[in-house]
Amino acid sequence: MNKVTGTPAFVTRNSFIELNARARARILFDEESWREMVGPFDRMESPWLPMQDVTPEADDGCIVIKGKIAGKPAVAIALEGAFQGGSLGEVSGAKMMAALDLAAKDSREGSITAAVLLLETGGVRLQEANLGLAAVAEVVSSLLALREYAPVVTVIAGTVGCFGGMSLAAGVSSYVIMTREGRLGLNGPEVIEQESGIEEFDSTDRAMIWSIHGGEQRVGMGLADVLAEDDAENIASAVREFVSAGKPAQYRSRKVALYRERIAALDISHQIDPLALRKEWGKDVSHGEKQ
Amino acid sequence: MSGESITHSWTTRRQEKQRRLQSVLPWMTGPLLPRERIVESLEALICAGDRIVLEGDNQKQADFLARSLVQLDAKKVHDLHLIISSISLPEHLTLFELGIARKVDFAFAGPQSLRVAQLLEDGVLEIGAIHTYVELYSRLLVDLVPDVVLVCAEAADAEGNLYTGPNTEDTPVIVEAAAFHDGIVIVQVNKIVEKLPRVDIPGSWVDVVIEADKPFSVEPLFTRDPRHITELQVLTAMMVIRGVYEKHQVHSLNHGIGFDTAAIELLLPTYAESLGLRGKICEHWALNPHPTLIPAIESGWVKSVHSFGSEVGMDEYIRARPDVFFTGHDGSLRSNRVLCQLAGQYAVDAFIGATLQMDGDANSSTVTTGRLAGFGGAPNMGHDPHGRRHSSPAWLDLKTDPSPTARGRKIVVQTLETFASGGVPSFVETLDAVEVGKKAGMPLTPIMIYGDDVSHVVTEEGIAYLYKAEGIEERRQALAAVAGVSPVGLKAKPEETARLRRIGVVAFPEDIGVQRLQASRSLLAARSMEDLVAWSGSLYLPPAKFRSW
Repeated sequence: MNKVTGTPAFVTRNSFIELNARARARILFDEESWREMVGPFDRMESPWLPMQDVTPEADDGCIVIKGKIAGKPAVAIALEGAFQGGSLGEVSGAKMMAALDLAAKDSREGSITAAVLLLETGGVRLQEANLGLAAVAEVVSSLLALREYAPVVTVIAGTVGCFGGMSLAAGVSSYVIMTREGRLGLNGPEVIEQESGIEEFDSTDRAMIWSIHGGEQRVGMGLADVLAEDDAENIASAVREFVSAGKPAQYRSRKVALYRERIAALDISHQIDPLALRKEWGKDVSHGEKQ
Repeated sequence: MSGESITHSWTTRRQEKQRRLQSVLPWMTGPLLPRERIVESLEALICAGDRIVLEGDNQKQADFLARSLVQLDAKKVHDLHLIISSISLPEHLTLFELGIARKVDFAFAGPQSLRVAQLLEDGVLEIGAIHTYVELYSRLLVDLVPDVVLVCAEAADAEGNLYTGPNTEDTPVIVEAAAFHDGIVIVQVNKIVEKLPRVDIPGSWVDVVIEADKPFSVEPLFTRDPRHITELQVLTAMMVIRGVYEKHQVHSLNHGIGFDTAAIELLLPTYAESLGLRGKICEHWALNPHPTLIPAIESGWVKSVHSFGSEVGMDEYIRARPDVFFTGHDGSLRSNRVLCQLAGQYAVDAFIGATLQMDGDANSSTVTTGRLAGFGGAPNMGHDPHGRRHSSPAWLDLKTDPSPTARGRKIVVQTLETFASGGVPSFVETLDAVEVGKKAGMPLTPIMIYGDDVSHVVTEEGIAYLYKAEGIEERRQALAAVAGVSPVGLKAKPEETARLRRIGVVAFPEDIGVQRLQASRSLLAARSMEDLVAWSGSLYLPPAKFRSW
């Protein structure tokens, strides 16, 4: 006969991926310690979207929350993947940059303030092209300034993933946390297919996309630090650990010689196999799966 | 009483079959034909004007045979009458463009519905009729007896015995119609083996077997990613569980394809469990192996599932749950579309399906402008079969006429949101199907589910218990009450709606104990494909297009 089982634990878990950007950011903070800055009631909307018949949102899809994580001052900046694919425009870019700059200022003045970036984004918002591009440059520069003082933790949980200009922000972060559903890449699948053809990259081949951009592969190759289960408490605890850990001994983005060497050593006479690459590049990976 | 005696042959079909088979005999080894002979063999086995069946439904396709048919010389083989349950592959219509086929009788044309409408307008294709599945198969035994049938199977042995495997679907009935009326049975198989796992069709029914160049394609049509279920669909599902399944004690049922029904399946182990409904509703199913049913099965909700076809990725899970599914002695699923359609027609308490458009009389259609999609199987299950005589609590509960000679009634539920994406109202004054039917020269408007068969309509606003309404006016008012601000809904009168709620012809969520604020995705037993895999103990292997890891 059918055996009747109770509800498995994963059913009652608080899925992080299910949360919207605001809820994701809030859940990282110590209770009662946080407040949202330039929130939706300040109505900082994109002036450019309505001109193109796109309804703007009162927070421009960028949520900034200041408070304490593991007892330490921190600011979280979350991009809402459900609004315009989490794209970075003039307002959201300015919010992000200002938050990072204020964290750097506080840090310089003695109150070390970590930043957590929750990135679900395709990068620059096409409707605000140049302003978005400028925002990416400013965000990366602010981020580089801040990381000299305090840890910058990027979380890519899914389902949008982190692509385009914002993948640069992930690349220069102190730490990157991903789930299996998260994806990280400079160019998104559709862009690669459009530029290089379907033989090079079939953007409908989900298995292939995740074998290259997926969290398991990125962490396995050492391009991200922790593979976390999709559970809010689990991810919050990984964030707390990195905020507490402070600055890393060495930044991935500074290992220029190592990556030059690795890329030069690749045999491109045949199709590179993601699993083999993971094995080769992942040899010195110190962090593992976070359960 | 004198006159010339006419010599009448009673074996013309048999002789003709023998003549054709004789001409390919030199190439054959038993029933096996080498692949490279396929085109010339088909040209010998099929004659101009023949009535042929090409197997292809909304799931599996005899695609190698379809690709071979379009290579025939239209000077030799032309004006075929094609019978096909689903016009799915581009090749199906290429046959008409090349003049190889002329007339078609079918049930469904999902992916090719635009091109069907175009070819019909251009006069390239002639439609006999658009059917429901059961109707089309039935005609194979009456006035559409085929001369040649072209079907697919997983494997054959040297004797021509066939293993049709988990996706048996339509093959047995198509083969039967030809094999026992001197039609020719041609089969593409994925492989020829020494010993079959089981025999689904005996070799004596089969004439020609060809090993295809690649395995036949199967569409994962019944897979819904829980990630895309909205909170509005959760609310609708809660209303169906309380206001239909619990209220009428629905023990046996069929679910159509869609996110609304996927949401119901995923609320059984959570929301419905918390209401103490396990063992009281939803025990017996006529249903394809929906991955979203896995949590309910694992939680002990489901006693049995009989299936039309299988579902990609579900084979190992099914194999491990033979108490629930119908399986062969080899362990794999045995599906059968016609039998499951009959089960869904006569043996279940309730059918529930989503529709795209509904008029003020609850007639609904999935036909939209420029598309000739057909009916498939929904109307078979989505109607009240007057041939039913056995009773069940649900069937009797819908009997509103106290007369001792009145019958019970099947529950036919239609769900839809009052507005479709893009802000287009789903409730309309006149169905698009009316115009489409006229343009296509059809004798009747292509209605999917007729309003008088619909017992319940469920929207995000509430439930209209149409079977309870007295008279056409009250029925229209009941439907309007749940049709939101659509053109149909604007006809609702608040005082009339209040009256209908009092007498139970209309229910809003709060009337049946459903709290709108509780309608959250966190109620779903699985919120992603990964969750479904976890529920199945990793026995379910989702196809790549549904994986995001």
